[in-house]
Amino acid sequence: MSSVCNAQQEQAQGQSGLSPVAGDAAFQIVPRIPELTYHPCTQCHQFLTPNAEIRDLQSPHPSELDHGDGRMWCLTCHKIDDRDYLTTLLGEAVSFDDAPTLCASCHMQRHNDWASGGHGKRVANWQGERVIYSCTQCHDPHSPTIKPRAPKPAPPVRKGLEPHQGIAEAYEPVWERLLKELDHE
Amino acid sequence: MSEKKVKKTRADDRNSGISRRSFMQGVGAVGAVTAAAAVAASTPAWGGQSMRDAFGSFFQDQYKKMTPEEIEAALARIERKAKRRFGVDIKCANTPPIPGVVFGYAINISKCKGYRDCVYACVEENNLGRDSQMQYIRVLEMDQGTRKLENSEHYYDPEEVPREGKYYMPVQCMQCDNPPCVKACPVEATWQEPDGIVVIDYDWCIGCRMCMSACPYWARHFNWTTPEVPAEELNPVTHYLGNRPRPKGVTEKCHFCIQRTRKGRLPACAEACPNGARIFGNLLDPDSEIRYVLENKSVFRLKEDLGTEPKFWYFAD
Repeated sequence: MSSVCNAQQEQAQGQSGLSPVAGDAAFQIVPRIPELTYHPCTQCHQFLTPNAEIRDLQSPHPSELDHGDGRMWCLTCHKIDDRDYLTTLLGEAVSFDDAPTLCASCHMQRHNDWASGGHGKRVANWQGERVIYSCTQCHDPHSPTIKPRAPKPAPPVRKGLEPHQGIAEAYEPVWERLLKELDHE
Repeated sequence: MSEKKVKKTRADDRNSGISRRSFMQGVGAVGAVTAAAAVAASTPAWGGQSMRDAFGSFFQDQYKKMTPEEIEAALARIERKAKRRFGVDIKCANTPPIPGVVFGYAINISKCKGYRDCVYACVEENNLGRDSQMQYIRVLEMDQGTRKLENSEHYYDPEEVPREGKYYMPVQCMQCDNPPCVKACPVEATWQEPDGIVVIDYDWCIGCRMCMSACPYWARHFNWTTPEVPAEELNPVTHYLGNRPRPKGVTEKCHFCIQRTRKGRLPACAEACPNGARIFGNLLDPDSEIRYVLENKSVFRLKEDLGTEPKFWYFAD
């Protein structure tokens, strides 16, 4: 049995055997479903006929898929016959809360690091129960690269150490003055 | 002021007939009057404390030499002082080290993008002076493919980070296992705790700054002024050896958020990092995240050749 223990009801479906977790670290994953705006997807999709044709999608779906250099499209990860679930490459249903199991289908090494603590982020405490964020908490699965952003302000020059204003204008370099004095003599 | 002007005033002085002697006499007289006035009027009694606290502070011993009762009294004094100064009820704790725990830190420099979120989380958590502009964490912008600290830039301020061809390396107190700052302190105001954190007794520090010159990581900072924190921004959860309000004229530095980590929480910088670049944990626990990193990643430490044995690692993956 995989040592990934997360949303209990999904565990039966989540076991794909594709998540080689090093060690024996038990952990909880912060659930993602409460943060998903449109979940459950069947709200709309129960009225729509599944269409496997690769095409451009309209909002609310992302128009571009910047993941996998064009090798993937929606149904690579989303289950065609049950839109409330994701699917592994082997066709097993995976809950949105258990996205790391799906991500591990390709990114095994990263998943291994994440499960053991070398990648990703732990919540709040270093001691006691290990609660970690899911892959999709930080990475947008449709464009997983972390985007550049503005840094917080640069450290100020510390109080009392401000550079003096106008020094360069008021005083010429000392060697210039010495050279001039030499010329006069 | 221009050079010409300076020369002119000096020449004027020479011609004005005021001798150096009479000038110095005048200065002396003014000084004496000012000092007397200050004692009489401007300085509040007991330096703004109660007599009990002024005497208590004066006779307070070094932290490690105090009895538990004396420490309790010192903590109560700190809380009363904060109440008088900020009008805020703070809680100053004395949480002891957890047995079987030695803290270690690792930073993934391929995940650090130089946002400086950690720097400001630290300032808020640790009650760093907002006016004295002290920061425990220095995020260095480095040229890719090099590890030349002398070419690093920590005042970088571009529109967006990361910049092309650069990587980012946060530097803070390394909590060395062989700390040169501790050896440099002439009064034993700084020492290493059993959980590996190098701490400072701010009440015992004499402000000589020997530790600052001994530290090869620029991790120690001096309070040139009394650190001012707006009362509403004061973090009331404090620790004697950690983030309690500090006086002027003492050295301070990162203490792995001793007030949080000794209660099992992550340091503020680790919690603030949006990229998960910061990994913190117990070096003695073989199942901890920090041990996984040390055993499975190529880690390095800063200035390892100095033999300071930092408990602060960097890695890239």
